[in-house]
Amino acid sequence: MRHMARPRLEVLSREEVEKIHVASLNVLSRVGVRIDHENALKLLNSVGAEVDFNKRIAKIPENLVREAIAKAPKVVKLCSRDGKLCYDLSEGRNTYFDVGSAAYYYIDWRTDEVRRPLSKDLADVAKVTDYLSNTHIMSTALVPADVPDVIADRWRMYVVAKYTTKPIDTGAFTVEGIPDAAKIMASVIGEENVSKRPFMFFAVCPSPPLKWSYLTMQNLIDCAKLGLPAHIIPMPQTGGTAPATIAGSVVQANAEFLSGLVVAQFVNPGAPIIYSGSPTVFEQRFATSCTGSIEVQLISSAISQLAKFYGFPSASYTIVSDSKVFDEQASLESAIGAIISVLAGLDIAIGSGMLYEENAISLLKLVVDDDVAGMALRFGRGIDVDVDTLAEKVFEEVGPGGLFLKHKHTRVWWRKEHFMPRLLDKRSADMWRKMGGKSLKVVAKEYVEEILKKHQPEPLPQDVEKELRKTVTEIAKRYGIEKLPEV
Amino acid sequence: MCFSLRQSIIDGDIENSLKYANECIKASMNPLEVLNKCVVAGVLELGDKWIRGEAFIADLVAAAEAAKVVIPILKNEIVKRGGKLEYVGRAVIGTVEGDIHDIGKTIVATIWEVNGIEVIDLGVDVPPQKFVEAVKQYNPDIVGMSALLTTTMVKQKETIEALKAAGLRDKVKVIVGGAPTSAEWAREIGADGWAPDAISSIDVVMKWLREKRSAVGEAHG
Repeated sequence: MRHMARPRLEVLSREEVEKIHVASLNVLSRVGVRIDHENALKLLNSVGAEVDFNKRIAKIPENLVREAIAKAPKVVKLCSRDGKLCYDLSEGRNTYFDVGSAAYYYIDWRTDEVRRPLSKDLADVAKVTDYLSNTHIMSTALVPADVPDVIADRWRMYVVAKYTTKPIDTGAFTVEGIPDAAKIMASVIGEENVSKRPFMFFAVCPSPPLKWSYLTMQNLIDCAKLGLPAHIIPMPQTGGTAPATIAGSVVQANAEFLSGLVVAQFVNPGAPIIYSGSPTVFEQRFATSCTGSIEVQLISSAISQLAKFYGFPSASYTIVSDSKVFDEQASLESAIGAIISVLAGLDIAIGSGMLYEENAISLLKLVVDDDVAGMALRFGRGIDVDVDTLAEKVFEEVGPGGLFLKHKHTRVWWRKEHFMPRLLDKRSADMWRKMGGKSLKVVAKEYVEEILKKHQPEPLPQDVEKELRKTVTEIAKRYGIEKLPEV
Repeated sequence: MCFSLRQSIIDGDIENSLKYANECIKASMNPLEVLNKCVVAGVLELGDKWIRGEAFIADLVAAAEAAKVVIPILKNEIVKRGGKLEYVGRAVIGTVEGDIHDIGKTIVATIWEVNGIEVIDLGVDVPPQKFVEAVKQYNPDIVGMSALLTTTMVKQKETIEALKAAGLRDKVKVIVGGAPTSAEWAREIGADGWAPDAISSIDVVMKWLREKRSAVGEAHG
């Protein structure tokens, strides 16, 4: 087999990874984690953790962590809705780009207005994502304001599942969220396939530092029980809810991740878990949680390395920006994140389309992020070195002063060797002027408009769509909600 | 056969282009028709595709190269059969002095040729005086100058001045091109036209030739 070097980035030496591992084990066994969930505490107690039921703190010894690591699967499978395409997430073999999830605001691509999203907006985000070639995973990107909050989490799943076949990154805001999500998936792919080829995976976010809310813990337990993939997302915030130091923030993220892993593996050995993250920088000048800061990329890279140290797939919110509108900052922060994600070998780079401290989705950013992701992925593929690409024979034929443009080798290889961005301008200055001299923002706007006008996502089969609608309607009825929007 | 020739041109396949061109001749097909429908049309189709972003410049160059190989063979056959080669106009083209960039100029020459213009290609590193002599000798409708370097584009200006000095400037239309040039530059140096690429240059020169024809009142083929 040909050995091919892939560009890689490591921010920690092996020794440093081990030091962080040991420090997080020390935090887990000496400080412990607070879990506001009686049954989880009981479970941990029963397998050997030291639990203070009054303070709700579990001190987790190293042996439980080791056992949990051994039990957890090294490959996590995510599939498309129709099962035609599955991604095997495993130690960063590929990086998949994922739309940022659960934004409370939507930046209207026509007007730049920041407003609460409607279900129709979420459908638009799903349609656009469905079309893009370097954005592999859709999320339940927006929290629609046109349904009651109590069912917003599951309603999002319905809207997105309807308008894209791509795997869906989602999560629950309610205790019933995960079991209902399993029902939603079952109505599309059949109950028997829900854990075999899940098309949704679920975010569970511990509350930093070192704390699990009842809701999140219940969501994690439900995922484990049902065999649904969960990504545990520690959210260290440097200098706020985490140490100001990068290493300290990584220790905290790692301890939180491992505590979730232990619970999941003791609930159901082999439960699929992704080591995820959403680090932020707590900006001391403005008291903001920033996602586009460069230190976020350092922590995310460290998370990727730790995940590989344990043998798990990794993910992080890296292709994000703190800009408030789609502008230069929006693309440059995301571009840095995208390239680092690929170099660091994250299995999933999350945040496409996301702005505003992870609070808003912009379709303009989303389509430009797709080009950015394409560039990063091309870089990550590295340089193919073999007899054809070294082109020795072509040199003989072209000779000094000759022109490679004329040679057949060019026509065969140029396409294979280069990534062609769709939106970034590569024309001559004159051609660019002739085409209207448009800024990237205008180009992105026209592209979004075109996709929304032309692209028809593969529809659900009629009976499946009916079944899915029925499932969601029944969930809504449980809360006395009779009227749901049409999308 | 004609279709295969056209496809070979589009594929930039010189070997097969030659093979099918010769087969067309052997089968006694009308060489003018073969030239227009199978060779010219093939290159033009690719030119359109390139403008629309559906083909690569390498594809267009390859097609032009294949066309360049078979065009003389077909023209030869036209003459051999007692036919007349008819052109819509005549052009002298070259890359200016000090500049050895060949490809852009050659693509333009080929594209003009397939559009029915008789092209006299002076090659690269052409001094102003050589352009002047060529204009005297060939009496062209058009002079095309290519320059790919900011250091050589000034030679376009010098050539225009040399044409003026020789009293030939008004006899020809001058078009300039090349990566560092622009419409503003063309105006500044007193050229008649400019084009950003080979395909766009066709519109410019064809317009001149049409205007000239209607002014002269002549009917060309």
